[in-house]
Amino acid sequence: MANNDLAPTDQAGVSRRSVLKWSAAVGGGAALVGTGAYFGVLPGVGAENAVALTPSGDDKIVWSSCNVNCGSRCPLRMVVKDGQITRVLPDDTGDDSLGTQQIRACVRGRSIRHRIYNPDRLKTPMRRRPGTKRGAGQWDEITWEEAFDEIATTMTRLIAEHGNESIYLNYGTGTLGGTITRSWPPIDTPVARLMNCVGGYLNHYGDYSSAQIAGAAAYHYGGWIGSNSFDDVKNSQLQVMFGNNPLETRMSGGGETFVTQQAKKLHGVRTIVIDPRYSETAGGIGDQWVAPRPGTDAALVAGLAHVMISENLHDQEFLDTYCLGFDEDHMPEGIPAGNSYRSYIMGLGPDGIEKTPEWAAKVTGVPARTLIQLGREIGQARPVHITQGWGPQRHANGENQARAIFTLAAMTGSVGLPGGGTGEREGKFGLSMANPFRSKNPVKTSISVFSWTDAIERGEQMTALRDGVRGKDKLDTNIKMVWQYAGNALTNQHGDINRTVALLEDDSLCEMIVVIDNQMTVSARYADILLPDVSNAEQLDVIQQGSAGNMGYAIVADQVIEPLYNCKTIYEMMTEIARRLGVESEFTEGKTQEDWVRQVVEESREANPELPAFDDLREMGVWKIEGPSYIGLADFRADPVANPLATESGKIEIFSKPLWEMAQTWELPEGDRITALPEHLSTWEGAEEARTNAKFPLQVIGHHFKQRTHSTYGNVDWMKEAHPQVVWINPIDAEARGVANDDLVEVFNDRGRVQIPARVTTRIAPGVLSIPQGAWFTPDAKGTDTGGSVNTLTSWHPSPITKGNAQHTTLAQLRKA
Amino acid sequence: MNVHELPMIAFTILAQMSVGAFVVLGIVQIVASRRFGAQAIDKVTDPALYAIGPVMVLGLVASTFHMNDPMNTLNVLRHFDSSWLTREIIFGAAFAGLGFVFAAMQWKKWGTIRQRQAMALLTAVVGLALVTSMSMIYYSLVTVPAWNTIATPAQFFTTTFLLGALAVGAALMGAVMWRIRIASRGDVPADVEHDVVDPDSRKLLTSTLKGIGIAAVVLLGVEFLIVTLHLSDLAGGGAEAGQSAAVFSGAWFVARLVLVFLGAGLLSVFVFRYASSKAAARPLAILATSAFALVLVGEVIGRSQFYDSMFRIGM
Amino acid sequence: MTTNLGFQFDQTLCTGCKACSVACKDKHDLPVGVSWRRVAEYTGGTWQQDGDTFVPNVFSYFTSISCNHCEDPICVKVCPTTAMHVGEDGIVSIDDDKCVGCRYCEWACPYSAPQFDPSSGHMTKCDMCADYRAEGEDPACVAACPSRALGWGPIDELRAEHGSLAGVEPLPDPALTRPRLVIVPHRDAQPTGHGTGAIVNPEEL
Repeated sequence: MANNDLAPTDQAGVSRRSVLKWSAAVGGGAALVGTGAYFGVLPGVGAENAVALTPSGDDKIVWSSCNVNCGSRCPLRMVVKDGQITRVLPDDTGDDSLGTQQIRACVRGRSIRHRIYNPDRLKTPMRRRPGTKRGAGQWDEITWEEAFDEIATTMTRLIAEHGNESIYLNYGTGTLGGTITRSWPPIDTPVARLMNCVGGYLNHYGDYSSAQIAGAAAYHYGGWIGSNSFDDVKNSQLQVMFGNNPLETRMSGGGETFVTQQAKKLHGVRTIVIDPRYSETAGGIGDQWVAPRPGTDAALVAGLAHVMISENLHDQEFLDTYCLGFDEDHMPEGIPAGNSYRSYIMGLGPDGIEKTPEWAAKVTGVPARTLIQLGREIGQARPVHITQGWGPQRHANGENQARAIFTLAAMTGSVGLPGGGTGEREGKFGLSMANPFRSKNPVKTSISVFSWTDAIERGEQMTALRDGVRGKDKLDTNIKMVWQYAGNALTNQHGDINRTVALLEDDSLCEMIVVIDNQMTVSARYADILLPDVSNAEQLDVIQQGSAGNMGYAIVADQVIEPLYNCKTIYEMMTEIARRLGVESEFTEGKTQEDWVRQVVEESREANPELPAFDDLREMGVWKIEGPSYIGLADFRADPVANPLATESGKIEIFSKPLWEMAQTWELPEGDRITALPEHLSTWEGAEEARTNAKFPLQVIGHHFKQRTHSTYGNVDWMKEAHPQVVWINPIDAEARGVANDDLVEVFNDRGRVQIPARVTTRIAPGVLSIPQGAWFTPDAKGTDTGGSVNTLTSWHPSPITKGNAQHTTLAQLRKA
Repeated sequence: MNVHELPMIAFTILAQMSVGAFVVLGIVQIVASRRFGAQAIDKVTDPALYAIGPVMVLGLVASTFHMNDPMNTLNVLRHFDSSWLTREIIFGAAFAGLGFVFAAMQWKKWGTIRQRQAMALLTAVVGLALVTSMSMIYYSLVTVPAWNTIATPAQFFTTTFLLGALAVGAALMGAVMWRIRIASRGDVPADVEHDVVDPDSRKLLTSTLKGIGIAAVVLLGVEFLIVTLHLSDLAGGGAEAGQSAAVFSGAWFVARLVLVFLGAGLLSVFVFRYASSKAAARPLAILATSAFALVLVGEVIGRSQFYDSMFRIGM
Repeated sequence: MTTNLGFQFDQTLCTGCKACSVACKDKHDLPVGVSWRRVAEYTGGTWQQDGDTFVPNVFSYFTSISCNHCEDPICVKVCPTTAMHVGEDGIVSIDDDKCVGCRYCEWACPYSAPQFDPSSGHMTKCDMCADYRAEGEDPACVAACPSRALGWGPIDELRAEHGSLAGVEPLPDPALTRPRLVIVPHRDAQPTGHGTGAIVNPEEL
């Protein structure tokens, strides 16, 4: 996507000069004394070594990066003394302008030293002690050879007995952005490359971030498009963000936090934030905050649509030309009358209910007068920049929620125009990097990312129409082996941790779990074999950019220090196992990790000729290029006939015929529904049920939290100090339960119980709790999770269409501990 | 209870008690000198005087636990022109030093009576400067509303005289009981008390105790007035003052008031009424000691809450 | 004539992420419990129920504070040892050889700038990264801020550019210590002494 006409940003004077300067600077600092207590945990890295740096040739600054799944990606400069990282510095290239900005790392990246040198680091390969339960914490240290042999032997046996589909690569995003070391998407991982050398593995589709919206976009737009990039709001009259919170979920000072703040500062575009939480985005760039109950965005959109249709504020011409299913005149063949979106809104559909602002107010908790004002404002502004985050879709009705917001964008007629958008998450300008390391999976069968626990428990009963199995009508085998590389979805990030733990404890089901990580994560506790990975500071990789508005960039993260302890790189681990399986040469193609990294850069230069050669890039650390704003569906807007969408009709399908057919054919659990229109669905443990459920009347969501990227950095002392885990509760709900700010409280339902302090705050809607997701599950003797993982409370129940994780659809009760 | 500030609670209470006792003894000397001879007075008051030294030293020792790097302790003398803390330490050390010199002069009868009186006066003035500096440490913090009030010096001086007076009463009676015990060792004479305490001393003792009783009741009134005014003052203040005011409530607060009331009020009235030349020493000693003990505990709780009430404005 | 330095802080841009605070901790190797720069969240407002619906009237904003190197530094005034002193360019710092760890400055400072380090028994605090400044670099917190909400420089210049506001809740009345601090206020910022909200993260300060 790189634009060849654009000049690279000025990179003047990065390396040599600043190295010298910094050597002197750090030399002057006497403040490095006193690290002993922390670094004392390391062998040979005690207080005696933690002395003030002296200006000497030994000091160096090495470019590295923070490779986690936050949507941003930041270069870091690491100061090294005596083989130890003593300080972490931010990007010092570029400036403060959109498109050439410094990529200043967020708080987490700045604490990375305490993640690299964390007491939780895995130090040597370990095997679950025979005779003990998974998760019991009883380990035997083994040699690398023993570990590789055991894995290779078990794999060979399982493939022979159950086939390659019995081996699963679980979702994991603990190391993201790298090209050789990345843990996601699964097909790009070294583990997949190994598996593909021996016949492949069971695939998954979707991800824990965006399962429902990605699936919804496939039906609505024929695939993922992306709304306009945030820098493009300079062309907007109005910006509307549904559950989109860049100031907390895209925290990089070169990424969308920087972009949205600068765009607001420079252009002052009026911004409405729709979120049950008064997020940092609402407080920082929002001019108006609208707080619907979680899981009611589709109802809210319906109320707005009613206002717009009633007052004729929608763009009928756009809907006629580019969309299918808005009104009765634009429906697919063979669909009975009354099934258009307009009919649904105006009470002419099968349910006969008019979706008036008053109706929507009852569902959403937002007053009708607010909805009327909002409908008029959105209806009258042109163009409108509408985006949504991943929150609205991470629900039991998530696909419809996402599609409703897409539909609102269509009603404004702003799709495909500068200043407009598709209603998806914001897009970005980005470099497309080559990936010669990627392999092909001979196995075509895949399951939803969220249904691996089902596939362990009852894989052979899982079908296409009931469980969303793809590539086959049904699974032929249960999952017998799980690879978990740099991921925490094995327990902590999946639904219903207690149920998942009980499933994993039965090792007659899944026979082998291999966890590869550099920290003793919650998931690592449930491994049979634990392989200690290096951190990204201990190896070389080329790092792909994060979302940064209209700026593209690439990073070469060099090896900063030698591998700690007895850790190995993932590349070396997989090579060793490949050797035992007789496929080493297929796996490595005779190349080292550095060879692959060089190849990635060199091949990427074919699509991006301005991209510096590897050695230059290595010295620069980070290379940036200013690109154009991203305008989603600009070509389709310009000429819908020449550039049709990949939908059946080639148009934006507000009414989806494939979904209409699925609604007839798929077998769904009692109460679950699939609809061809983006209707509001009242679901299990939804906003409506909360009001009638006396036992568990509070909706629980789990917002992304500054302390962690999901669960990564969740064990870093500085981060836990800076952003302690708390449950957010409105003063109205707190008062009713006799809870004051900072009181220790219990949040519980039939699935589990967490105990953490309460943050009593007006910043969350009444009836809603938010437990920031990703905290590390820490059960006490009674099973109460004192770490405060929201997934102690969430369920396995998937969403109806994409079988995705509905982790914001949860009911619970709260009381003072 | 505030365990965190235990060294400061101990230091301020003990130092104030020491200064108070020293001043009260001085007043006894002055008032009594019109009716009794110097020798009779010294005989009664010297034991109490000698007790002050160790108490003050104990307080100073406690205060060093407040320093987290005792190796650098001498540096605290550097900032006399600005820091009340420096002044406190200098006056504290000076009071202890002068007190020792004076006690030694009394013991060895060095110098003339005039010289000794001058020394006592100087010691007392330094002691009062110590209490002043001590209160100014807190009063001068404009960032702590609960402390930045006239109630702080008023309370410190009230504590000084209340505890000082009751400590003197307890010490005087303690000394009498001690002498009786020494005298009665071996045989059990019928009237040891009269042998030990001559009529003049007895008169001096009982009138001193009466005076202490009156003083205690008056100071009790002053203390309750300060508490009331301080609380109403905090109630009218900002958020931090409100947080501080919340400290002065609940069981500990009530316990403090009750203990001080019982000790300084009820028992002191008993002391006042019981103290006559015909009174038996033992019950009088029990009364005086109990009054002192109750008030001491009450003042310790009060001082602990004083530290608890530290809510600073800002962030 | 000397140049007195100060900090500038743009409340409209602060997201409360604490990159400033952690960058500072990384640079100075500060343990948990010692934070030379802290961020307060000041939040308030009300919700009104109307049948099934609720109307929020909510405000919230962050304030990042280290040491303001005050013109009338109360920490220097109360320090018994003279360890706390005003140095070149108005920078208030601690002479480690003199500090006795009595923590009196900690009581006095309304910004919590002096921070006690239990491992040394001494007070510690921000010196505006004197070593970095000597090399012509920005202090660590300023260079760290993802939102570009922090600045530093001669206080006269900062005031000329950004105004001289420093009295914003939850900060104390600037008359107390005359901080060399310039605040660009959040749209919901409340003047000191007229706040209707509260610091909701006191345990983080």
